[in-house]
Amino acid sequence: MKEIVKLKIGLASCGIAAGGDGVFEALKKAVDIPILQVGCIGHCYAEPLVEACLSDGSSVMYSNVKADEKSIQNILSLGEENRFEIPAARKAKELLKVLALAGKIVPTDLDDYIANGGYEGLKKALSLSPEEVVNEVKLSGLRGRGGGGFPTGMKWSFLAAKPGFDKTVICNADEGDPGAFMDRSLMESVPHQVLEGMLIAAYATGASRLVIYCRAEYPLAIKHLKIAIGQINDAKLNVFGDRSVEITIKEGAGAFVCGEETALIASLEGQRGMPRFRPPFPTDRGYQDKPTMINNVETFGNIPVILREGGSAFAATGSEGGRGTKLFALAGDLQYPGLVEVPMGTTLNEIVFEIGGADRERVKAVQTGGPSGGCIPVELFDTPVDYDSLRSLGAIMGSGGMIVIGNDRCMVETARYFLDFTHRESCGKCTFCRVGTTRMFEILERIVNGNGSEADLDLLEDLGRKIKAGSLCGLGQTAPNPVLATLRFYRNEYLEHVNEHKCRAMQCNALVDVALNKDKCVKCKLCIKTCPVNAISSDFVIDPALCTRCNSCLDVCPQKAITRVAKGEQ
Amino acid sequence: MSINFFLDGKSVTAQPGQTVMDVARANGIDIPGLCGDKRISKTTSCFVCVVKDKTTGKFLPSCSAMPSEGQEIEVTAPDVLEMRKTALNLLLSEHNGDCEAPCTLACPAHAAVEEYVRAAANGDFFNALKIIKERIPMPITVGRVCPRFCEKQCRRNIDGEPVAINEFKRLAADMCYDSYMEELPALSGKKAAIVGGGPAGLAAAYYLRLRGIQPVIFEQMPKSGGMTRYGIPEYRLPKNLLDKEIAHFEKMDIFFSCGKKLGENLSLAELEENFDAVIIAIGCWQASGMRCEGEEFAVPGIDFLRNVIENDCSAPNPGKVLVVGGGNTAMDCLRTSVRLGSPEVTCIYRRSEAEMPAEKIEIAEAKEEGVKFQFLTAPVKLEKRNGKLILTCQKMTLGEPDASGRRKPVPEAGSDFEIEADTVIAAIGQKTSAPAGIPVTRYGTVEVQEDGVTVRNGLYSAGDCVSGAATVVEALASGRRAAMAAARDLLNIPLEEENPINVTRGNWQELSLDEIVVLRNDLSAEPREKLTFIPLAERKTTFKEVCSTMSAGQIAKEGKRCIECSCSDKADCKLRKFSGEAGCRVDAYSGQRQSASYDVRHPAIIQDRGKCIKCGICVKVCKEVVNKSLLSLQKRGFASCIGTAFDQGLPDSCRECGECINACPTGALDWRKKR
Amino acid sequence: MKKEYEFLRNIPGEPGNLIKGLQLLQSTEGYISDDGIRAAAEYFGRPEADVEGVVSFYAQFKRVKPGRYRISVCDGTACHLKGAPLIHEWLHQELGLNPGETADDGVFSLETVACLGCCSLAPVMSVNGKVHGKLDRKTMMKILKEYAAK
Repeated sequence: MKEIVKLKIGLASCGIAAGGDGVFEALKKAVDIPILQVGCIGHCYAEPLVEACLSDGSSVMYSNVKADEKSIQNILSLGEENRFEIPAARKAKELLKVLALAGKIVPTDLDDYIANGGYEGLKKALSLSPEEVVNEVKLSGLRGRGGGGFPTGMKWSFLAAKPGFDKTVICNADEGDPGAFMDRSLMESVPHQVLEGMLIAAYATGASRLVIYCRAEYPLAIKHLKIAIGQINDAKLNVFGDRSVEITIKEGAGAFVCGEETALIASLEGQRGMPRFRPPFPTDRGYQDKPTMINNVETFGNIPVILREGGSAFAATGSEGGRGTKLFALAGDLQYPGLVEVPMGTTLNEIVFEIGGADRERVKAVQTGGPSGGCIPVELFDTPVDYDSLRSLGAIMGSGGMIVIGNDRCMVETARYFLDFTHRESCGKCTFCRVGTTRMFEILERIVNGNGSEADLDLLEDLGRKIKAGSLCGLGQTAPNPVLATLRFYRNEYLEHVNEHKCRAMQCNALVDVALNKDKCVKCKLCIKTCPVNAISSDFVIDPALCTRCNSCLDVCPQKAITRVAKGEQ
Repeated sequence: MSINFFLDGKSVTAQPGQTVMDVARANGIDIPGLCGDKRISKTTSCFVCVVKDKTTGKFLPSCSAMPSEGQEIEVTAPDVLEMRKTALNLLLSEHNGDCEAPCTLACPAHAAVEEYVRAAANGDFFNALKIIKERIPMPITVGRVCPRFCEKQCRRNIDGEPVAINEFKRLAADMCYDSYMEELPALSGKKAAIVGGGPAGLAAAYYLRLRGIQPVIFEQMPKSGGMTRYGIPEYRLPKNLLDKEIAHFEKMDIFFSCGKKLGENLSLAELEENFDAVIIAIGCWQASGMRCEGEEFAVPGIDFLRNVIENDCSAPNPGKVLVVGGGNTAMDCLRTSVRLGSPEVTCIYRRSEAEMPAEKIEIAEAKEEGVKFQFLTAPVKLEKRNGKLILTCQKMTLGEPDASGRRKPVPEAGSDFEIEADTVIAAIGQKTSAPAGIPVTRYGTVEVQEDGVTVRNGLYSAGDCVSGAATVVEALASGRRAAMAAARDLLNIPLEEENPINVTRGNWQELSLDEIVVLRNDLSAEPREKLTFIPLAERKTTFKEVCSTMSAGQIAKEGKRCIECSCSDKADCKLRKFSGEAGCRVDAYSGQRQSASYDVRHPAIIQDRGKCIKCGICVKVCKEVVNKSLLSLQKRGFASCIGTAFDQGLPDSCRECGECINACPTGALDWRKKR
Repeated sequence: MKKEYEFLRNIPGEPGNLIKGLQLLQSTEGYISDDGIRAAAEYFGRPEADVEGVVSFYAQFKRVKPGRYRISVCDGTACHLKGAPLIHEWLHQELGLNPGETADDGVFSLETVACLGCCSLAPVMSVNGKVHGKLDRKTMMKILKEYAAK
């Protein structure tokens, strides 16, 4: 008879948010076997997830576990309810290399990491000369995973070429794209893997300082990294022969622009996070005016894999436009949101429909690269996902946020949303970004409010082009992308807004009324009771002047008799 | 080691440490830039200095970009200029200030109102007159008869009455006109003939003389002055004062030849042959009729007024008078009739009082003097019965607004009624009658080119004959423009273009009281100074000037009421200068402007945040040059601003060294006291 | 330095540690007060105006005292698509608060955050750091009631 020898529960941020901590407490009370708090396996839609490891080495997983008696007993008795299997289509397409250990090991247990092949990469690196390590990274074809796509090996060689050891390697963990959580997940689930990558970089480039610049909004990631750093120091993993490397972690304070290298450095130095003109590049003059190199979390997460496999073997995965695998934070209108890892070159069709389980009939587009990226319409979903293919469509790979946009979403409003974000996140230093993005945002506001004109579309395109060309840093240089891409693929939606004052998605409040279908209505009065502004009269007439389009009545109506309709069609 | 590269195809050499901008300037190529200062580290903020790397197609801020060997940089390519212009347009779109004050912008002659008000308020009337005469060469007249475009836009209107701007002109002219003499340049040998000695002709002559061109004025009437002499009644402009004003023109060696009428005893062809330039400024001397049956029984308004003036105000009593029309000429006819002893004077106007084009003050003064008004009444027929004039009128109602924006009067059917009178005066309007050889528009005005004054090579036109009947100050401005155009064509003197960039915080009508920016700390809250009128009985029976000139004391008090809206940096502002040069438009992009919050807590230094371009030079100068660090960049994005710790304003430790003020490219930081 | 700010000495007083110091200040006091800025300026050797500039740059730093319960509504892309604007509307209707404001009774304060990284649970908000996901009007009201009753 198979027995449960230990339990694993996913307690990364998403698991906790889904109620995993309550489940953990309930399990602890119920049984006296080891319960391991592991990270995230990437299947966020199934959280909280519990894995029951059995005496024969196999395991059974349970999804959407609740903290109640029944759910707990179901697990402990290896019941059939809520059993979780990774969807077959996803299993077939996914290739877990960077995420291989995520959700499998205890993030803060160094021994667990080492027992699963951890620090093999560092060991391998230390057996090579620094130049040979840089060469392996070059051979791997790895490109920066933060969005820029600059060849990592080349960046390393720039820093390695600087004499002495008074150099800094920075891990950019200021994952600021709204809609991206790859880095958070990696740091929470496999902090040692990120740190291993950084230590290898320190060895290869001759840096004696490692700094992690992490968003303050990621407290769990910071906690796990701090524990891991302590373990590294204790185990002297940061000592390479006669030199040792200092690892520190600094928390960002909430500024998207700090994803930009020079702004990040300014922030690390205790200044306003404003970028400066390059050159000089950080490898010439960076943190505290010393040579500095910055890589992103996921980039570092790849390094141990490269060293273990060898650069050439690593390069065998992926496509011309990018080597290795890529992590995507899949969210939006789909069945299986979560974190996925696929070889570069996997098509959007495969990611969105096969892995994500999105409904082919209901998907309009996918948004990649967050506020710096663009959108790709469903007709082009056979595009392989790599740096160059996406750029050719006016989108970017970005850090890996991928939002699936359903038919019932307004593309103009989506563009407005991104410009709202970027214009508020602009540091304010350069004219094009500070004033230009504000003007673009205002024009978009005008359009979603039904006050735009066709001339505004030309103005958006012209201004967008100039902002891209005339901004100091990456934020401004990419900020117009969501607008330019939607104008390119969804100009008809813009035209409907400006010419017909219509939002086909019924999303833009200024162009929408809320209507009650009296034939369907059963007069339960739930809508009247719920309406926060008393806009529904006792004979079920909705006053469009009072109504704030808050959707409260739509949500409570048992008959679905209330809908959003084009303005004036009430 | 020096670096060789190319600027617009020209091979240049950079020394180590030199930026593209440094090298360009060393080679005589000026690249505009707002955010640089040699003494501090780079700010790389404004992006006005962009250039293009021809190979990569990338735009680079030349203030910060270091050239590389062999690099090809484009400095003046069209797309580079377009980017530069866009950067400036974007900065203008958030700029929240006033370059020129609204009074100056409203003045047709663009007179430096704030400056002459300040000079006069400080007692320097001579200087005030000098400033006035740079734009208004007839200050005695304008100081009395101007409809005061400036005062209508004065921001003091928002909670009271405007500054009495015109009274400053009147007092400065009354006090210093005789003692003031222009510096006259040597004559160039070029001569100009000016046909018409009214304000436009006089102004043209004045500014031609100041540019070394000898003017000769040909005037059809026995005396020059045009409508100011023969149209404006004595009680508004005493003719002895006008004589004094015109005498000054003679002192400036401007020649007058009176009794010369074009097409009669003066030939355009001969003038064009004998003079290097001819300026037509013949005014609008032909009255329009009432366009109804019997209109020939009505006296044309301007003829009526001229007749009284030519007879030294001693015309016979006109009896019961009806004046048809609602403009300033109608008011003049009404009030002149009162003074001639008419027992009953009535104004007939087809719209309501609100639509009357006459000045409000003129209407009010006419009412004080006993004039009756019959609004919404239009003449239909004028006939003579038993020695009396009978004007048949009909009632009107107001319909939809017409092209002028005023509501169009519509006749009420069957509302005809008769009014009996001894004299009917038609003050409907005036037209010009240009003699043969001068091209005219379909309105009968002289046809000019886009500059508003040039007819053809060597022939110019100015004043009412171009614009249709207008005001003295408009005629003066037009005459000045004609003189400038002639001076450009004859002597290659470049036109003094007005800076086309005039950011404004807005007209007071669309501002709220707390949006009014007051940077001076001694603004007076007193009401507008009052004029002193002669007794009403005297007004109604004599042609004495109705009110007297304000006293110097009153003017000093009144000057303290001026908000001083214009920018202290308007002459030096780099944003304004470069924007003008780049062909920018202040309305290229619309949208939210910077907060107009300002800081006047420091006794000597003001911070006008709406004008800040966030370059941060001041922050760096205070930190890196002065070693004080009293300022910092605060907030971010569009909301970013320059501030002090705890928003307490510049602290006592500020030494008032003025380095931040000197470095500020705009008027965002400045001395409180205007120069 | 005022006595109540001695805790700053837990961090080395180098100018580059200012942000760390401000984070400590905020976690201790709940916000950054004027006195806090004075203390940080003195301890980290930075001009006061400069410190004010840094504080106002970063979204994390608050210059006004937040409520007992800090509600952070995520406006990341996924949350926005799934109705973050409606959450704001409902919160506004219920609490009368706009982002950046604290209720008069000091119970709740409201802010918008860029992304909490819980996109698969969209729409989400956090209260004092605890994330609540898959919100609709009913669950949101329930959560508010629970906190208000505490």
